[in-house]
Amino acid sequence: MSLADLIDAFVNLDENRVLGIVEKLLREGTDPSEILEACRKATTIIGERFERGEYFLSELVFASEIFNSVMRVVLPELKRETKPLGTIVLGTVQGDIHDIGKNIFKAFAEAAGFKVIDLGVDVPPERFVDAVRTHNPDIVGMSGLLTISYESMKKTVNALKEAGLRDRVRVIVGGGRMDEHVKRYVGADEWADNAMLGIRKCKEMLGLGG
Amino acid sequence: MTGAELKSPEDLLKERFGRVEKAIELGEPDRVPLIIFTCGDILRKYAKGYELYFNYDRAREVSVRFATEYPVDVFLAALAAEGFIFALAFSDYPDIAPSVRFWTGPMHDALGDKYTRWPGRELPEDSIFQFIGGQFMEAKEYCKLSDDPITFLNEVILPRSCLNLEKPNSEKANVALIRLGVEVSRYLKFLGDSAADLAKVGVPSLPLTFAYAPLDFIGDFLRYPTGALLDVRRHPDDVKRACEALVEPILKVALSLKPAGAKYAFIPLHLNEYLSPKLYNEFYWPTLKKIIVALYEQGIKSLVFFEGWHDPHLETILELPRGWGIAYFEKTDVRKAKKILGGHTCIMGGVPPSLLLEATPDKIKGYIKDILSEVKPGGGFILSPGVADIPMPVPPENLRALIDAVEEYGRY
Repeated sequence: MSLADLIDAFVNLDENRVLGIVEKLLREGTDPSEILEACRKATTIIGERFERGEYFLSELVFASEIFNSVMRVVLPELKRETKPLGTIVLGTVQGDIHDIGKNIFKAFAEAAGFKVIDLGVDVPPERFVDAVRTHNPDIVGMSGLLTISYESMKKTVNALKEAGLRDRVRVIVGGGRMDEHVKRYVGADEWADNAMLGIRKCKEMLGLGG
Repeated sequence: MTGAELKSPEDLLKERFGRVEKAIELGEPDRVPLIIFTCGDILRKYAKGYELYFNYDRAREVSVRFATEYPVDVFLAALAAEGFIFALAFSDYPDIAPSVRFWTGPMHDALGDKYTRWPGRELPEDSIFQFIGGQFMEAKEYCKLSDDPITFLNEVILPRSCLNLEKPNSEKANVALIRLGVEVSRYLKFLGDSAADLAKVGVPSLPLTFAYAPLDFIGDFLRYPTGALLDVRRHPDDVKRACEALVEPILKVALSLKPAGAKYAFIPLHLNEYLSPKLYNEFYWPTLKKIIVALYEQGIKSLVFFEGWHDPHLETILELPRGWGIAYFEKTDVRKAKKILGGHTCIMGGVPPSLLLEATPDKIKGYIKDILSEVKPGGGFILSPGVADIPMPVPPENLRALIDAVEEYGRY
């Protein structure tokens, strides 16, 4: 049982095998940060398979479930925090309470190495503004499913402008119904209609490549 | 629309409905029909979200105002949330089942259901209602669901999922059901009156009944969508058996409105976009196909809303009998769909709501001209905004551009 086995089991979404290997590796004294790094590699491969059309949303849902289970075991063992790629303030915008997409994005963003501050659902513009002041993130990620979310996203960007914070962050809108039109209407920098595209664009916005 | 003002409402009604029917029958009408659906977002132009779902008089007034200002071939305002679990729970009673298929705001108040959230209740006053679902069944309970779905839903799930029904036979639970009944009769009157209001201005409604994809029922009402997806991997045989067990009661609900003249069964899909072709063909499609085919054999065509991106599963639609119904697409490119399904399936969709929101009237017209030049020939096409709603801030001139464009470029 090695880190390579862990990556293989994770990429093939073999939940029981993943958890078995993680437990064994921890018992044998493997550095927990190496386990996390292996999971990171696995989720990158899963993301690539998704973007190639070999994996679908159900595989992403399952992979985020596996990742969250691994985190529950590994996080308490972690002795040092690794430096994140960047910080994302994330939330479903005011008036919308859907979070399946947001949660998939969050799991994969954390797996990719981002620090994610999750504000939850139905988040009013002022809470995004407060969170930007408090956490000084690189990126604000606004999620939404319904057509009413477009308005709230625009209000949130305007609130960031009024608070003088818009130029300090990059803004991405995410959700199944996001596109170039919505990006322009809202005044965001990027859009993504799936979690993997969202993570690729977050990396690009920070100059980290795809 | 050109010349519309010269025709009587009766003539307009006949002309518009005939146009839609012709397209559904895969023919070429006089022009491409335009259908607009809303769950309330666009109607917030005239009334607060809260009023649309809690005040039937206001809802009637604004629906007819919209249909007068923006006349289309069919206008459908679904100002009520998904309540299919009630229809299914009462599917042995065809006089009751279809009436509780949707929940309005006051019905939510009566039941205290945990599936939906409402403006002025759990949401800001000017929001729209939202279906959120939840997990009300354990994975180990699949066998109970499969053995006897109706008993399981009534005795186990409804008490868990509706606050006011948590103690069956209690005073509170009985009162909740009486309140629900009172609201249902008010709602049915509202539906009848609304259809009559629209008919008076020459805008037809569709004679609809309703069905559901079994796996979506499990995802939406019992296990939450992500829970159902995990079950597909962890408990595949249980999921398959449950889907099979749900086919018959779903058909009973859908057929209960046949005597009242229902001609089309609306089936909104949710998990289609999530599944790989392998999982779709194993867990989702077989039972959905069974339902669509059984309804078709009973003279009811289906109007299936293929939510999200349905591209990987497009060809499976060809397994249905020719002329089975209408495939309403959201993110799937209708040009691609027409190439694959043309002459077999009536295709609906084509206009991204975000385009209406952000583009100029000229750009919208240009877009519709281009798309119609490809999908119009041969008939069997209905133009419609691709998500069953239009965002409230869409400027009036953009909505007019949509209506004018179909008039200008949609003629055969």
